[in-house]
Amino acid sequence: MNTLEIKNLNVSIEGQSILKDFSLTIPKGEVHALMGPNGTGKSTLAKVMAGHEDYEVKSGGITLDGQNILGEEPDAIAHAGLFLAFQYPLEIPGVSIANFIRAARAARLPEGESINAVEFYKELYQKMDDLKMDRKFTARSLNDGFSGGEKKRCEILQMSMLNPAYCIMDETDSGLDIDALKTVSEGVNLMRGPDRGFLVITHYQRLLDYIVPDVVHVMFDGRIVHSGPAELAQELESKGYDWVKESFATTA
Amino acid sequence: MSNSKIQDEAISVDTEKGNFSYPEDYAYDAGVGLSEDTIRYISDVKKEDEWVRDFRLRALEIFNKKDMPTNWATKDLENIHFDKIRYYLSKGQQPSRTWDEVPDDVKETFERLGIPEQERKFLAGVEAQFDSEAAYSRMKEDLEKEGVIFVGSSEGLEKYPEIFRPYFGKVIPSTDNKFAALNSATFSGGSFIYIPKGVKLKQPLQAYFRINAENFGQFERTLIIADEDSEITYMEGCTAPKFETATLHSAVVELVALKNAKIQYITVQNWSSNVFNLVTKRGMADEGAEVKWIDCNIGSRLTMKYPGVVLKGRGARGEVLSIALANNGQHQDTGAKMIHLADDTTSNIISKSISIGEGRSTYRGQVHMPKHLKNCKNNTECDALLINTNSRTDTYPAITTRGQNNTVQHEASVSKVSAEQIFYMMQRGLSEGEAMSLAVNGFVNELLKAFPMEYSVELKRLIDMEMEGSVG
Amino acid sequence: MTSLSENIMNKPANTAAEPIWLTERRAAGLAQYQTLPPPALNDELWRFASVGRLKIDDYAPTGAPSPANAKALLDRSDLVSERAGRSVHADDHSLCFEGLSEELIAKGVLYLPIADALKAHPDLMEQYFLKTTTELGSDKFFGLHAASIRAGTLLYIPKGVEIEQPLVNYYWTSAQGTAVFPHTLIIAEDNAKASVVDIFSSETKENEALNIAVSNLHAATGAKVFRKVVQDWNKQTTSFQLDTTIAGRDAQVKNLAVNIGSERARYENQTRIEGPGADVKMYSITVAEDNQEFDQRTFQTHNAPNAVSDLLYKNALLDQSRTIFSGLIKVAEGAQQTDAYQTNRNLLLDPTAEANALPGLEILANDVRCSHGATTGNLDADELFYMMQRGIPRRTAMQLMVFGFFEEVIEKVDNEELAENLRQLIHKKFEAKIA
Repeated sequence: MNTLEIKNLNVSIEGQSILKDFSLTIPKGEVHALMGPNGTGKSTLAKVMAGHEDYEVKSGGITLDGQNILGEEPDAIAHAGLFLAFQYPLEIPGVSIANFIRAARAARLPEGESINAVEFYKELYQKMDDLKMDRKFTARSLNDGFSGGEKKRCEILQMSMLNPAYCIMDETDSGLDIDALKTVSEGVNLMRGPDRGFLVITHYQRLLDYIVPDVVHVMFDGRIVHSGPAELAQELESKGYDWVKESFATTA
Repeated sequence: MSNSKIQDEAISVDTEKGNFSYPEDYAYDAGVGLSEDTIRYISDVKKEDEWVRDFRLRALEIFNKKDMPTNWATKDLENIHFDKIRYYLSKGQQPSRTWDEVPDDVKETFERLGIPEQERKFLAGVEAQFDSEAAYSRMKEDLEKEGVIFVGSSEGLEKYPEIFRPYFGKVIPSTDNKFAALNSATFSGGSFIYIPKGVKLKQPLQAYFRINAENFGQFERTLIIADEDSEITYMEGCTAPKFETATLHSAVVELVALKNAKIQYITVQNWSSNVFNLVTKRGMADEGAEVKWIDCNIGSRLTMKYPGVVLKGRGARGEVLSIALANNGQHQDTGAKMIHLADDTTSNIISKSISIGEGRSTYRGQVHMPKHLKNCKNNTECDALLINTNSRTDTYPAITTRGQNNTVQHEASVSKVSAEQIFYMMQRGLSEGEAMSLAVNGFVNELLKAFPMEYSVELKRLIDMEMEGSVG
Repeated sequence: MTSLSENIMNKPANTAAEPIWLTERRAAGLAQYQTLPPPALNDELWRFASVGRLKIDDYAPTGAPSPANAKALLDRSDLVSERAGRSVHADDHSLCFEGLSEELIAKGVLYLPIADALKAHPDLMEQYFLKTTTELGSDKFFGLHAASIRAGTLLYIPKGVEIEQPLVNYYWTSAQGTAVFPHTLIIAEDNAKASVVDIFSSETKENEALNIAVSNLHAATGAKVFRKVVQDWNKQTTSFQLDTTIAGRDAQVKNLAVNIGSERARYENQTRIEGPGADVKMYSITVAEDNQEFDQRTFQTHNAPNAVSDLLYKNALLDQSRTIFSGLIKVAEGAQQTDAYQTNRNLLLDPTAEANALPGLEILANDVRCSHGATTGNLDADELFYMMQRGIPRRTAMQLMVFGFFEEVIEKVDNEELAENLRQLIHKKFEAKIA
């Protein structure tokens, strides 16, 4: 029951098949890395899990702790406990970070309950300090005019404030310099624990030096073609994705 | 070097290429002024069917009833004296199929303008109109075999009424505006073209319009029907000698692009600076079809022209790319209209204008998404370049939006060629005029690429000539 | 009830002994109202407006509200608590006038009801009162205003005097069928500084009213003036606001309008830059719902070089509402080194709403930086998805985005209490719709 489970998922967009019979199970307490060449369907998987409406799900299922989430509205999926850290976080002008996170927290409360502002800010500032974010950021519009690194830190801040059961991180390392990468990774590692599962989607092995996964999956042409321990990431890095293509193109 | 010299002096140099005329010698002349008799005369000379004559007479009534649009347009329109214009002049010729048969003075005219040479080089067909009627009309034989029709307006209505009549006056009704009504009453010449299903023309068809006589009004009428999945590029050019008195050119151009057809219509307007050029151009795009207007206005005293596309079928596309150059004494009042009437339609307008000396360029645009439509897009960019301190530019767009997932974006900017830019280029050894031309060419360069190569070279040359004057 | 024009002819507003020049201006105004034709469909300055829906003659000036009403309205006139002065009017009758501090009076600042200003400072008034029109198409209605004006305020700030707190003017409508003609005249001398808030509201949701308000702002060399205007009439009101600004050398003027109410609201705002170095900002936000029509016409005229004007008008539309933004930047010959910008953003929240944009430029000088941009669209689907992924319900996410859309203008209000009150006004209007 304590798993995020994707079963035989087939997804297409504008008639083109992207995910082909994709299956993956992430138990709580584990960090799974999903690696693979560009255009292989990694980001599609992330968006389908979060309930994006642009994709056509042909068959299959996704359950979160036994509860179906496929076909639900994005906010319902979020409430069920799934958080997606976006590859390209959106800029929302005029909506401050603090107000945004408050609104997201308030939406999770039972009707009639409200947020204790003092405690909220105490927690927010603590987490911003952990992520080495300036407190002045709380008043700034969400992601508006942020650098790439600032946006990614802001994603991790939200992730940590919203306390999800499962975190999907879509190419969180893209566009980060090494210092930012370390800070973001530390933030993620602080959140690791027996009650939470992670799916770290990345093209490069670099991030996995800092967020060490329990399992590494190699994705190619819409499905997982190979799984192994953390060392698989290094192997992949040294052999390159052509190796994947050569080894698995025929079986695919 | 003082920049003020550039900015304050503007000498008018017009392109002299078209500035010559031959003595008048006409077999048919409708006389001066406009009345029902004038219309009957034109119709008689053309031996038209009853319905065409009625169409003309009804249009004349509309013309007489409609006010001049001076509530929004320039008062210069009041300087057109309809009672002093000659509405029909022809030598009674049938359009020749070889240049040898064209009367000498007419042939020489078109030779000096380089038309036969262009035809040999890169055209699929040419029609050359001298005052009211075509003097020459020829299309490559293989196109004829494929069923392509390329004839004048009279011949089109007479020989192929089943093809042309259903669309004639439908995209632009006579009631559309005063000058469309005038054309509908007096039209003569122009091109009627039909491209059959699936036929894709590899080379352009071209028409060239020449005014030779003074006080003359030219009213050609063009109708292009591109049947399903066909493609055509059509180009038109025009010149007139520089007379003391005003000359009127008022055309109507209707384009019909049926399902998945593509029409590209290219105009290089280089009338002399005494011509009032008041033209109505509109295309209708059916499902998946594309209508593209590429419009370059260099000459004339006053041009008022707003090519439009009615996006009638789902997924239709419309585009207007225009360049206008207004020198001393000129007003280029141009723009575009995009009427979205179906889901998933897109339109794009890019307009670049250059005002030199006391020249005035005006952009007027209309983007209309009036109904409950979905997923429509319009993008409009208008950029104006002002060369001299007393140059002028105006921008008057009108945008109406409703519906779901529609986006409309309009941006306009005004800039000048800075003294620093000129200085920088002159320091590298360019003359002031060369530097100015380079800057202006840079401004329109992106758009020039949309023209066929032969035309963009000619356009660059024309722009260079205009710019040389501007810096004295 | 007698019709409006009859009423004015029979009972002219100038019952008190008014100076002769004013009697003449009123008579000229009335003549203008009676002779000029009503706006027509083919009138460029009224393009896209529903001209057929104008009914002027159904309204007439009315008497003063009862003491109980007056008390209630006074209590509700509380949008800005820290202020240098306040006037409250209902149906063009004065309910209260809180004058200036002794200190400001000693410095020569005048803050007076129009009637008192006419008596005490006739020369000043002759120079400025009813002298400036917007040139944007409402001369007929300006004429009616001139003939009928009886309520309003004069603010005069002498050279070098700075007033930190705002002057706040409230205009209420109360009686059924009332016609009101509020007038705000602001004269800021060299290097003076002041801010004014005009607030238009209705007593109930039902009382029908006609408003023809005029505001004329004169900012002399180096003066700094910030005028905010909140239009929150009920939806039984037809409203005209005819505002002008004349900016002298190095003057800094900000105009900010919040438009919430009226069945039909015409807002004309003309800015004339007459001195080099002037800097004028024009901001507006509008929330349109039901069958409301907001018709906004703006004119930025640059008659002097080296000046800046910047306009930002944002509209959010619901239901079958309509907005018209028609703006013109005119740079006169010789007004070189002008920077003039104009931006109109329309957010369509329902497919039946209609936004019209007519952003115009007339540029007669070449060394300028001018641009305009107009965009119309829906809420961004990707942004919505992003917010919902964080667990925010669709409606709440839409609300947040709409408030975010307006925040760009609200944050220009340099008074936190007023800004918060404006947010509340906007939220209140939306809560019923997006909840």
